[in-house]
Amino acid sequence: MIFDWAYAMDILPRFVPALWVTVQATLAGMLIALTLGMVLTLLRRCRLIWVRWPTTALIEFVRSTPLLVQMYFMFYVLPEAGVRMSAFTAGALALGLHYAAYCAEVYRAGLEAVPRGQWDAAAALNLGHWSTLRRIIVPQAVSRVVPALGNYLVAMFKDTPLLSAITVVELLQLAKMIGAESFRYVEALTMVGVLFLILSLGAASLIRALERRMRVAHA
Amino acid sequence: MIHLRGVRKSYGALQVLRGVDLDVPHGQTVSVIGPSGSGKSTLLRLLMMLDAPDTGELVIDGERPWSTDDHGRVRADAAQLRRARAKVGMVFQHFNLFPHMSVLDNVMEAPLSVLGLRRPEARDRALEYLGQVGLADKAQAMPGQLSGGQKQRVAIARALAMQPRIMLFDEVTSALDPELVGGILALLRGLAEPQDMTMLIVTHHMRFAERCADRVLFFDEGVIAEDGTPAELFHDPRHERTRRFVAAVAGE
Repeated sequence: MIFDWAYAMDILPRFVPALWVTVQATLAGMLIALTLGMVLTLLRRCRLIWVRWPTTALIEFVRSTPLLVQMYFMFYVLPEAGVRMSAFTAGALALGLHYAAYCAEVYRAGLEAVPRGQWDAAAALNLGHWSTLRRIIVPQAVSRVVPALGNYLVAMFKDTPLLSAITVVELLQLAKMIGAESFRYVEALTMVGVLFLILSLGAASLIRALERRMRVAHA
Repeated sequence: MIHLRGVRKSYGALQVLRGVDLDVPHGQTVSVIGPSGSGKSTLLRLLMMLDAPDTGELVIDGERPWSTDDHGRVRADAAQLRRARAKVGMVFQHFNLFPHMSVLDNVMEAPLSVLGLRRPEARDRALEYLGQVGLADKAQAMPGQLSGGQKQRVAIARALAMQPRIMLFDEVTSALDPELVGGILALLRGLAEPQDMTMLIVTHHMRFAERCADRVLFFDEGVIAEDGTPAELFHDPRHERTRRFVAAVAGE
């Protein structure tokens, strides 16, 4: 098994579109996870038990079942119920839904970490529930949730190879295709590993920079 | 101004208030003393309407924020609660400033978003009250940059900026270093003097309770055990437990 540098350089351009698919899936998934997670958090705080309870059940269900199974469900089972979407859409939705459940937990912890006295002070000033959330509680929760959300962004990025299971040509799928064509897996799979490593490290340092900026803003 | 009848409040199995009757006329300054756990802070939380009483009647300047439904449960009417809360301001033991906002924004927030003032008006008002507590020059500072005494002054300005008719002070000096206490107490005395505000001050400073209040309430085990003028309470208490408490605290 010898690593052929010339061959590796040869196939490198083919990874550009696949990398773009991976990045798009991550960004779309994260956008869905961040917003849907917020909705789930709010629904779970609802006063009505028949809203709160099913939401909690949904979050627990999503967190307790494998992402790969959820993806298969979106792509292979939903069409039988008449819901048809492209492999990419199904994959991004599955990623988004799965991580939304985790984001909801992060948001909840962030909101609960804001001291009770902040709610009291806002109520004493006659701020309503929504103004209190929007103006007082959420801004303080945001800086607490950024590190955890950043971790999930990187985790989701590393989960994108699961999309290969529902025919999306992302990095891993492409590497398998190249391997099958040429019977050389070393270069292609190494490339996948290196690309994930570079992007994960890049994302992690971006998140750290963001955390630093928020700490400065709060000092 | 304040009217309580048979007010009871429990937190879980703990009965904190066991039937409180109280009338406070407009403009009176009332000190509330008593051992910890006797229900003083709970009384203020109920008067600020942060918590609802389990049973009993609570009327704040003519407003009844709570009503009892057919099942005997206490419910808030949102509009009535808002009207009643508008009459009351509260300053907390641990200040509870909003740490993500500047001093000026802390004071401007409620006039802007609750009273609907325009920015320049809210700003003028905030600076006026910050001036009154001697902190106009700290308007742009963040709460984290202030000393405890300064934070408590900001908290007082923030409550005053809503121009409440009743002000509640919950052990506002107990989280402060001793050298900062005097300044806060002098500030409260200044607020009490014009007599257009009703004030309830929960405090451990007997000297202060004696000098600047028109009336002192001694709380013990969830009821008002004694209610009188400072002279009566501190020098000629009717009850033995009041005497014991006053003597014990004076000895500290």
